[in-house]
Amino acid sequence: MAQRAVWLISHEPGTPQCGTIKFSRRYPTVENRARVFNEASYVPVPEDGPFLKALLFELRLLDDDKDFAESRDSCSHIQKTSIYGLPIGGEELWPVVAFLKNGMIYACVPLVEQTLSPHPPLISISGISQGFELLFGLQDFLYSGQKNDTELNTKVSQLPDLLLQSCPFGTLLDANLQNLSDGINFTSVTHPQKQPAWKAGMYKGKPQVSISITEKVKSMQYDKQDIADTWQVVGAVTCKCDLEGSMPNVTISLNLPTNGSPLQDILVHPCVTSLDSAILTSSSIDPMDDSAFSGPYKFPLTPPLESFNLCYYTSQVPVPPILGFYQVKEEGVQLKITVNLKLHESVKNSFEFCEAHIPFYNRGPITHVEYKVSFGQLEVFRDKSLLVWIIGQKFPKSMEIRLSGTVTFGAKSHEKQPFDHICIGGTAYLKLHFRILDYTLTGCYADQHSVQVFASGKPKISTHRKLISSDYYIWNSKAPAPITYGSLLL
Amino acid sequence: MGPLSRETWAQRLGTFRASPSAFMAGPEGEDLARDLLSDLRSEKLSEPTKVSLLALSLEYPAQLWPDASAAEAAANSLLDTLVLLPPRPSALRRPLLLAATTALAAGGALGPTSGASRRLLPLLLGLASGRDLGRGFSPASEQRPLQATAWECLRELESCKPGLLGGCLGLLRGLLGQEGPVQPLSLLLALALRNALMIQARARAGLQGLLMAGDCPTEGGQWNWTLAEAGEAPLQPQAPGWPAAEEGECSLTALELSPEEARELRAAVAQLLDACYLLTPVAQAQLLWLLGWALRGLRGQPPVLFKPQLVRLLGTAQLTLLHAVLALKAAFGEALFTAQDEALLLRRLILAAQHPALPLPAHLFCLHCLLSFPENWPLGPAGSEAAPLLLGSQLCRGLLPSLLHDPMALLARLHLLCLLCVEDEEKEEQGQDQSPRSYLEELLAGLQQRAALDSGPRALATLCFQASYLVARCLAGHPVVLTPLTCGLAQLYRARPALAPHFADLLDQVGPELGEPLRVVLRQEVVSRPGRDEALRWHLQMLAKVADGDGQGAILRFLQAAAAHCTNWGLQQALLKVCRALLRAGVVEGLADLLQALAGQLEDPDGRDHARLYYILLAHLSRPKLGVALGPSLAAPALASSLVAENQGFAKALMVQEAPAPIRLSLGPHRAEGPVPVLQLQVEVLEPVYSLELRFSVERQLYAPLGAVHVPCLRPGRPARPLLLPVRPRRPAPARLAVRALYTTPTGLTCHAHLPPLLVNFADLFLPFPQPPKGAEADFFEELWDACLPQGTESHLWCPLGPHGLEALVSRHLEPFVVVAQPPTSYRVAIRLPPDSRLLLRLEAAQADGVPVALRTDDWSVLPLAGDYLRGLAAAG
Repeated sequence: MAQRAVWLISHEPGTPQCGTIKFSRRYPTVENRARVFNEASYVPVPEDGPFLKALLFELRLLDDDKDFAESRDSCSHIQKTSIYGLPIGGEELWPVVAFLKNGMIYACVPLVEQTLSPHPPLISISGISQGFELLFGLQDFLYSGQKNDTELNTKVSQLPDLLLQSCPFGTLLDANLQNLSDGINFTSVTHPQKQPAWKAGMYKGKPQVSISITEKVKSMQYDKQDIADTWQVVGAVTCKCDLEGSMPNVTISLNLPTNGSPLQDILVHPCVTSLDSAILTSSSIDPMDDSAFSGPYKFPLTPPLESFNLCYYTSQVPVPPILGFYQVKEEGVQLKITVNLKLHESVKNSFEFCEAHIPFYNRGPITHVEYKVSFGQLEVFRDKSLLVWIIGQKFPKSMEIRLSGTVTFGAKSHEKQPFDHICIGGTAYLKLHFRILDYTLTGCYADQHSVQVFASGKPKISTHRKLISSDYYIWNSKAPAPITYGSLLL
Repeated sequence: MGPLSRETWAQRLGTFRASPSAFMAGPEGEDLARDLLSDLRSEKLSEPTKVSLLALSLEYPAQLWPDASAAEAAANSLLDTLVLLPPRPSALRRPLLLAATTALAAGGALGPTSGASRRLLPLLLGLASGRDLGRGFSPASEQRPLQATAWECLRELESCKPGLLGGCLGLLRGLLGQEGPVQPLSLLLALALRNALMIQARARAGLQGLLMAGDCPTEGGQWNWTLAEAGEAPLQPQAPGWPAAEEGECSLTALELSPEEARELRAAVAQLLDACYLLTPVAQAQLLWLLGWALRGLRGQPPVLFKPQLVRLLGTAQLTLLHAVLALKAAFGEALFTAQDEALLLRRLILAAQHPALPLPAHLFCLHCLLSFPENWPLGPAGSEAAPLLLGSQLCRGLLPSLLHDPMALLARLHLLCLLCVEDEEKEEQGQDQSPRSYLEELLAGLQQRAALDSGPRALATLCFQASYLVARCLAGHPVVLTPLTCGLAQLYRARPALAPHFADLLDQVGPELGEPLRVVLRQEVVSRPGRDEALRWHLQMLAKVADGDGQGAILRFLQAAAAHCTNWGLQQALLKVCRALLRAGVVEGLADLLQALAGQLEDPDGRDHARLYYILLAHLSRPKLGVALGPSLAAPALASSLVAENQGFAKALMVQEAPAPIRLSLGPHRAEGPVPVLQLQVEVLEPVYSLELRFSVERQLYAPLGAVHVPCLRPGRPARPLLLPVRPRRPAPARLAVRALYTTPTGLTCHAHLPPLLVNFADLFLPFPQPPKGAEADFFEELWDACLPQGTESHLWCPLGPHGLEALVSRHLEPFVVVAQPPTSYRVAIRLPPDSRLLLRLEAAQADGVPVALRTDDWSVLPLAGDYLRGLAAAG
């Protein structure tokens, strides 16, 4: 269970190499073991140059996919996981765990403790999940709180030191690099008691606990007879427990009002010490029934120092917060569009913002728009072929608003106009972006009574809630739209 | 030379990292290792620079110290540097410990005879166990991080040399109960325990009190290498015996534990598991893998110890923990997971494969695990991907693909959908309105629609073809799926012929279930839609792939029409490639006309030449030969031009290959008749041989040049008629015939082989004189006899007889040549020896053990041959 090497690569399309290695680290003692374990099938970890080239080709990140290349485009070359085999010098380096996120490629080569031919099943290789955890850890570290390139570069420059601590010999000790980075400041603290490895020091100061619940709602609305609309709430609960003592015992509970929607698919932070079986088995995979567990959801835990995600959940609320329809009719070079949006009465009508983005793909630039809105205002981004309907902070009393208009397009020029492989022909969507503070769609909340601390001193408790839209699509009901299996079954 | 500056080092390290091999081959390579070690002690370099030097040595020890002795020296030097550090806080102690450990372990220097090992191990153990090292080794503030580092170093050494810390198990257990960093100690104990169990199992020994052993060697004391030496055999996998890897020798069933040992072992494992929550999630996962391995197959060690951990682990979002639970599931199966537990685990896995809070790579890995789920009672063959029994379409609803998914997710989910389609085949018949199958059809149609977009990226087309391939592979026996897929692909081709290379690739990869019908519809699609320019190029490329004997009329018409638009070299080559495919398919009718027309009509001389060549080949070569001549060359990838491929095909097919002969040739019984001697050749072959031509040459030109013998076809096991080879001797003498064979193999290659020479004996040349009239035999013989002299010669010799007497000898060897016979004692024999000699024998008054032979010949050079022959007769019996 170890890594032979790890890389951080920035993807730079348009440059000759299409990428630069920002950081790499090899583990020679693990490499030695690989040589022994893999026997005749052993392929050494290559130098950075050949590795970069092979990886970018395999990930389709070189700018040269104009022509059919069999080794990459063959129909039998099916990639179903983020684990690749890279052809290097006539041999195959496998398994290479790699993925692209935010323009960065994260890659590592886990040790496989047996021969590689034939490839053993991935599930039997312990280093695979460890490799993922290492790369996710790198990603979290680089992008937590990072805002610009300078900050990113500073963080990259910290990596050699951090990896020397978290992964000195290729065996990952802690995926939480941020924690280690903060923890360097705690190293001088002496530890009289048994200390968890994931807690670098101890908090000194006023006890306080903060809990914030963020719900994202996504939806696919079709306004069609034979296709059901779908929507789902995904919640994340983030906590920060500033409590004295090396291992304070805390229980945090989440509550639902009587008409709240049960939380399902709950995944908890590893610091949660035990879990009620009702929480563990409440799942969206099963059909909903009235007996669904509706809380309170209690999480006994020993909190780490830093802010952590106590749990994630999903929920199936009875109605989507905003129900809409979108119709597009093509009339020559013009599109006639109609949008209707209705806020459900149960939803808090107080937005931080609310916008409907109406993109037009695979067409020329917008040359002319005539429109009528019953509420809010419309902004036209001609070159981007985008309309943005700014609805503002509140829906009107009727809770229902309407937009109608005609949009005229100029000639299509391939380079500039946005391409989309979903919006072909009449297929089109509008996407809602909104945020409501101090509100959750499920009703889920935490309050002063939600935190039990088994330690001296009553902590100050602060709670926050918000609802955000995410992938909230309303599809043109006059044309085919991409569906999921779920929307056919309902 | 003094120490290098910080900048020089930074630049040097940068160059090195860019390409270590190039750097080491360059002028600076030689000095790097030496400079690095010496500059670590320089007072002019800052600590961060030294740390970066150590970082390099951590990554590239093999380049710096390529052999064990260099590694040993380097480790010693690093340890010297460490002890020479002034007793104030320093950032160098940790990396120095790591570097010395790496140098020893990676350089293969770790061992009882290594001085550096003897220094490092007690140092590490002293630091780790918090013992006072007696020299104020490091300031108090550094003790704790150094302690953790020392544990890590020991663990790495134990990983590289299993059993190294086997003697310290008791000490480690003791320390685990006390203060100190829990995580490194737990991991080391688990690893050392696992290794000790494994080594002892291999030696068929018990734990021998290792778990209770009190103390470890202190500084200066002897390190116990016994177990490490025993573990010298290849490192053992840490995977807890995944079913597929089970056959190895990782079974611990051989280990005999006393009840006391078993109790101690259980206590140690429980101790580790109890403190498990103090570890980071990734370390917990490692601990579980190690302990799972350690206990697997060990008698009297029920895995229930793990049970209390499971609920906690299953609740988390950590991929490593979920993976570790799956490992435990694979290792212990029903012993740890009841059917309900199994169902719960499966549900958590399904959940993790789609939970919005987890990133895509985690989803994909979980999906993979789902299809390799270690079931308690698996039905399918081990190792193949299959949906677990408990996984019905209801549970999978959220895991099915949609066009909105990323390509990898789409393919992974599509695979699952295909597996469900196989299972749901029966249910479907009952008329459910939305079956997985019709969903699959819609999805494929959507993919085809996207692939048809002219401006779309190639990845979209690739995805469509990958999906088609996957479906064809999983649902090969389901025409109900493949038929609409075939139609959809034909439509896709109609919409975007530029995808021809993808179609060709698909046809190469899929089985006949999809391949055959697709070939047919694509052929129809092409010939029914003549195009120009770009489309024509793709049509021709497609046609070259799908053209065969069927529908040749339409194809030829299409080609005739297309020829007019083939105005450039590329198009003409593409056109000729189709002709080539037709030639190979054995199309004759109409093709000759087309080729002849092309030979005159094409603008490009190269095209004309080719058309003419094909025409000639078509007219002159038999079909198998044609097939080989035009077959794709294995040596070179297909190029746009068919020339290279063709040249190689021709070179092979039209040139003669040297080969070891699959032919055995021997001389059959002698036939004494006719005007000249005729050899009867018997041929046997080891493989079918066509158009065999045997060529003979006579040494020293004793005979006139021999004609070749032709055989159209020979097959192994089927005796062929003897081949007759007339020889025209220039002198009546035996000879060696050199034999060469030219033949065509079943694959159409022409081969040439040298066969072992044939020996033509003196007797093989014998011919009888024409039969004299009845009653005149004696006179005829006497006439010949008299005519031999005076230019000839006479000789007498004694011919020994075997037990059967003269009669048997004559009837066996001389029968055809006997002119006058008075059995059993007297024979007169006349032999004609071509070209114009004779040999006359009188065998008269035979006695029991021999017969006197009077011998006359008109060619005295025959005399010794005749003598040898007669003397040999008796020996031959």
